[in-house]
Amino acid sequence: MNAVPLALYSAAFLAYVWHFARRPATIGRAATTLLVAGALSHTFVIGMQTMDVGHVPLMTRASAISTFVWMLVLAYLYTEMTTDERAMGAFILPLAVALQIIPALNVGGTGGEERASVLRGPLFGLHVSSLLLSYASFALAAVIGITYMLLFKEIKAKHLGFFYTRLPSLQVLDTMNQRATVFGWVCLTVGLIVGAIWASQASAYASASPQVQQMSLQDPKIFVAVVCWAVYSFEVFAVRRLGWGGRRSAYLSAVGFAIVLLNFVPIGYFLTRSHNF
Amino acid sequence: MHLLLVGISHRTAPVDLRERVDFQVRGVEAALGALSGRGTTNEAVVLSTCNRVEVYVACGEVEPTRNDVVAFLGEFHAIEPAALKPHVYDLTDLDVARHLFRVAAGLDSMVVGEPQILGQVKEAHTLATMARTAGPVLNRLFHSSFAAGKRVRTETALGSGAVSVSFAAVSLARKIFGDLRGRHVLVVGAGEMGKLTALHMKSQGVQSVTIVSRTMAHAARTAEAIGGASAAPWDEVGTAVGSSDIVITATGAGKPVFTKAQIEAVMRRRRSRPLFIIDIAMPRDVEAAAGEIEQVFLYNIDDLQATVQENLVRRANEVARAEAIVTEEVDRFGAWLRSRDAIPTVVALRQRFESVRRSELERLDFKLSALPPEARSRVEEITRLIVEKLLLTPTEQLKTLSDAEVLTAYTEALTKLFNLGQQAPSATETLDRRVEPFVRPSKRS
Repeated sequence: MNAVPLALYSAAFLAYVWHFARRPATIGRAATTLLVAGALSHTFVIGMQTMDVGHVPLMTRASAISTFVWMLVLAYLYTEMTTDERAMGAFILPLAVALQIIPALNVGGTGGEERASVLRGPLFGLHVSSLLLSYASFALAAVIGITYMLLFKEIKAKHLGFFYTRLPSLQVLDTMNQRATVFGWVCLTVGLIVGAIWASQASAYASASPQVQQMSLQDPKIFVAVVCWAVYSFEVFAVRRLGWGGRRSAYLSAVGFAIVLLNFVPIGYFLTRSHNF
Repeated sequence: MHLLLVGISHRTAPVDLRERVDFQVRGVEAALGALSGRGTTNEAVVLSTCNRVEVYVACGEVEPTRNDVVAFLGEFHAIEPAALKPHVYDLTDLDVARHLFRVAAGLDSMVVGEPQILGQVKEAHTLATMARTAGPVLNRLFHSSFAAGKRVRTETALGSGAVSVSFAAVSLARKIFGDLRGRHVLVVGAGEMGKLTALHMKSQGVQSVTIVSRTMAHAARTAEAIGGASAAPWDEVGTAVGSSDIVITATGAGKPVFTKAQIEAVMRRRRSRPLFIIDIAMPRDVEAAAGEIEQVFLYNIDDLQATVQENLVRRANEVARAEAIVTEEVDRFGAWLRSRDAIPTVVALRQRFESVRRSELERLDFKLSALPPEARSRVEEITRLIVEKLLLTPTEQLKTLSDAEVLTAYTEALTKLFNLGQQAPSATETLDRRVEPFVRPSKRS
């Protein structure tokens, strides 16, 4: 079922790239329409799965990635609607399309959506959904940060070319980057705290579970998540207290998201011992 | 019906002649009234800007109309024909369409891609509509030109990028800061160049403009000339830079007024808020190395001129794409224009059917007279509707034919099949009377 949103996202991606390069107004509208259609079909897919299993599909990695992509697309659409700025679509959608391939092909997602007995209580749902939301925000911040650096480079080098004519101003990109980062940081903080509380409760009622036994900073997934939190905390602090706006925070956003992505896909699939329910 | 354009522009006439034929002096409405009063044109639109004066007309015969419009230009502005004629150009039919579409797209402008011309073309058409001198042909021509102009603007980069130094500075400032409202501008030096750039910034709605000069009196005078600006003494220049977002330096100093170290010190106090420095002084006021500082964007006059040059080159590269769009729109307009050749045949065909209907009703009148009046009018209505329905499809088919040869073959066949030769009015005659074929009452009843 995840193939339908993938197809629509891919078509929207092509339209956004075409619009970014050549800027015909009709293609821009078509791009947004395709993306909205993709988001609606994705909402339908997630809604059906939720009705099927009784909770938002987050249990397998593939379904968590699908939910993440859905949040990312909604976050992007919100940005596009509020700023009337389509340029970022060409940068966000490659990520959405690449990640959506995983649930569409159901890579490694052999397990069902049934909730493992250890994953009880509302805290678990809050933990996963706030982290996914924070990752979606960080993805947006990273892409905005990259476009900031591209535009910054052109203005500094005094070659006002491709990006200069197509991207919004540095100030707008900087503000968007910081908002997305702060929102993501709040969600990440909530997600980590809730996760820690859940783990301590779980160790009481499911001490025999091998995953719960691995819940410590030595687990790569937890360790890298904490590193992420440190990077983003520094960014939020540096922007507010050290005046690290502009290129430095854009750079930090990109680095932070690279770590998020590392944690989300390779570590999540192959290395973690605590988060493979 | 032919299209004709008679005009002069920056390509053919010097500015003093263009000034003399500028219709805006006496009003375009008066000119339209005077032109249509001469009776040689069916429709007319006058486009009058500082770079061009063009008269677009739809007429029956080209040659006499051309001579008359040229004579009108001279008479209306009291210019000797001999002084005017060498500078006048004229075009006919689809060349008129191509020219107007190029004009609307900014391809024929002095600065290629400038945006004002499309608005001026629209205004010219509005004036002609109000003066009732624009008819179906020129309406279609001008609406097509708006479409061509809009497409070129949205589908190509012909109009993108600043093409003057002061606009390049403003455009850069907007790319760094976004909205310029709420921004503070500092002008260092009280010269003319600094004042002009500051005025340009002010028109963008910046919050404050401060002038600093070595002589306080000069600074105060410049601030007054800009209006709404304030002056500050020279020894406060460092503080002033710290609290500004955009700094324009234009002093006549022989060596740099700001070194890299000074700017670095200022940036530390600013906590790395971006600073845009426009150094338009010659020799330069700001050490070039200051541009390496994070969040400092330093542009000197040569950099700005280089961006202007780049923009001009980029616009030139877009010309081919814009011309292709113009060609597409000319083809579309040409197809519409040719489809109008079918109108006389359509009119004749309808007249033929109507006359058959009438004569049959008259022939059967003695039978129908026995019917009550209500039934008679019903018969009248039903027969009329049958004729309408029979003719609907062939009429639409004829209207959509754009190939001239196919159209001729069809009209010839129809003329022969329905024996229309005797009654089909000529194309010119029909169009001159601006016949609307679908509402025209029959004269042969």
